[in-house]
Amino acid sequence: MGQLRQALRTAMVERDAARASGLRRELRHAETLWQDKAAALGQGEGAVLTAAGPPAVDRAVTALLPTREQVHQVLSLLEVAAAPKLITAVHGAFFPGELPASRLASMRRDEERSYRSAPNARPYYVCPALTADRLAPARALLTVSTWPLERRIVGAHSPRVDFLTATTKIATAIEWFDRRGPHWLADARARADRLLRSFAVSIPGALAPPELSGHAPPLDPRQVAEAAEAELAVHVAVDRAEREQAAAWARQRLPETERLFGTRLQMIRNDASSH
Amino acid sequence: MNPTVNSTTAARLDALRGGQPPVNHTARTLVGLSANPGCSRRALLDACGADKGKVARQAGYPWPFGQSPFALSRGNAFERQVKEHGGARLLALLRESLGLPIEQVAYIPLESVGDNANRELRYRRTRQVLAHAARGGSSPGILYDHPMLRLAVGGQLVYLEPDVIAFKIGDKFHVVEIKSFPVIDRQADGTQVAAATRQAAVYVIALRELFADAGLDPDLVAASIFLVTPKNFGNTPIATLIDARKQIAMMTTQLARMDRIETLVKLLPAQVSFDLAVDAAGVARRPQAQLAGDLRQVPARYRPECLDHCELAGLCRAEARQDDSLDVYGPGVADVLGGIGTAQTALALAEGQRIPSADQTDVARALRHAERLRTELAAGAELAGGAA
Repeated sequence: MGQLRQALRTAMVERDAARASGLRRELRHAETLWQDKAAALGQGEGAVLTAAGPPAVDRAVTALLPTREQVHQVLSLLEVAAAPKLITAVHGAFFPGELPASRLASMRRDEERSYRSAPNARPYYVCPALTADRLAPARALLTVSTWPLERRIVGAHSPRVDFLTATTKIATAIEWFDRRGPHWLADARARADRLLRSFAVSIPGALAPPELSGHAPPLDPRQVAEAAEAELAVHVAVDRAEREQAAAWARQRLPETERLFGTRLQMIRNDASSH
Repeated sequence: MNPTVNSTTAARLDALRGGQPPVNHTARTLVGLSANPGCSRRALLDACGADKGKVARQAGYPWPFGQSPFALSRGNAFERQVKEHGGARLLALLRESLGLPIEQVAYIPLESVGDNANRELRYRRTRQVLAHAARGGSSPGILYDHPMLRLAVGGQLVYLEPDVIAFKIGDKFHVVEIKSFPVIDRQADGTQVAAATRQAAVYVIALRELFADAGLDPDLVAASIFLVTPKNFGNTPIATLIDARKQIAMMTTQLARMDRIETLVKLLPAQVSFDLAVDAAGVARRPQAQLAGDLRQVPARYRPECLDHCELAGLCRAEARQDDSLDVYGPGVADVLGGIGTAQTALALAEGQRIPSADQTDVARALRHAERLRTELAAGAELAGGAA
């Protein structure tokens, strides 16, 4: 997989679009295989999480990362388009260092400018999510350019699907951190719990019924993740169809820059997906 | 510009405002406007989209008007909390209280069309999406965030941008109003609920007009509104279904009664303008007195309640006081002294220094009687004071 990634990067730098997309497909396939294997291996020592969990980087180094790397880290944990507020919250819970939301404000524009001046000079770009009906940049949602187009497009069901996916990712990350031993920074565990609880209150069956004493029910990350996955199963097919339809349309009609940063032309309308 | 006002009127309205960008109507301003439907000054300034707060300031009558910044930011934070993550909290509330099926989660943001936030474009998109959903199309929409609505007020179309979510359950559309005043033990402040209901009623009316416009049955919009407020002293949202039929009927009547803008514009002297243009140094081009003078050319109907509803209240009150008008004392006094315009006349009649006209005879008799009683009481008090 590492080799594939490197080859893909080279292809992107050389602007060999055909080879890059072929490699991307292979890489995705390899990743799926890897995840399936890991899942099949089962419960052994956080195997599932080696792919999804946060990378174990030295904390001193992580704290010095530039903003875009920090954002990339968070988005890689969540694996869905996220708003700056959520990115900041997740960063505060799982990663060291500061990531104020104000720093995210100008990032989208900077990334786009950097891409336009030297396309594919960087291994990834932080770019906006695209709306399924118009393929225009969605408000305040950030994604990573190396993700498949389907994941970067948001349709009518995607806010809920992404919310539920983010919930499972956060819940599993908490479990993973707990299992790995004393990895929590001061207050980080409390912050992570608060974040997960704020998500769990909106998911049926994620929290135990309130206790008679009036205290908030205890939070079990496993239960939250299972509840979120249960609801996710209801929506995922509809959502995937919406996204795939829009992605196919984008691949046909849009040049790469617009596939990454969205179209700004008002004339283009995707009648297929808005009806 | 729009079909209900002819182009000369529209051009005149635009010219009145000068070079400033137009200010949008909100449900709050419409409720304020309908609270005093006879006031031409407010109707005209609202119609031309002038920023009344700035006009009042520049005319020399700044009026501390509007919500406190703390209340505003609290309201916004609560609203964000309810709406974030595709309305996750709202969905939970709807599932709990209305039994919304699990699979209905689609969320359609209408706050911009792509990058474009043009009002007409957004209105068309809102109409397209909602009409499509109403016709039972495959559109999966349940929550429609930030729809742009349009309403005819005083013969002019105004855009309304509710901070609101419309949702469809069954085949009915409901309006959700998010407010940050607390509901404690299921009891809320009556005046605040009434104000929120009146505002939501405006949205219901506008939504019904949108459906009528699209050739659909306006009764697709439910007459009950869904009020989301914080529960007790915390931040947990709670939903209440409120029957707004009375408020909708009331607002419909009020909106229909408003003077037609064209009539007002025709009566306006040609040189009147509310232009706020400033020169390079930031000094207003038009002198304060001139702007204030132009404002006074448009008749106002001042009432003490205007202080709660209108940015121009300071100016109108000063004017009413200067004219010695009975309006300063509120409609109660003005009604009792019907036919008398100023306090001076009333006093002169009471003291018998003025001969009442035919229609003032009754009021004059009552005033003189009151004056006699007052004199007797004053004399009695003096005697009592002397005896002690």
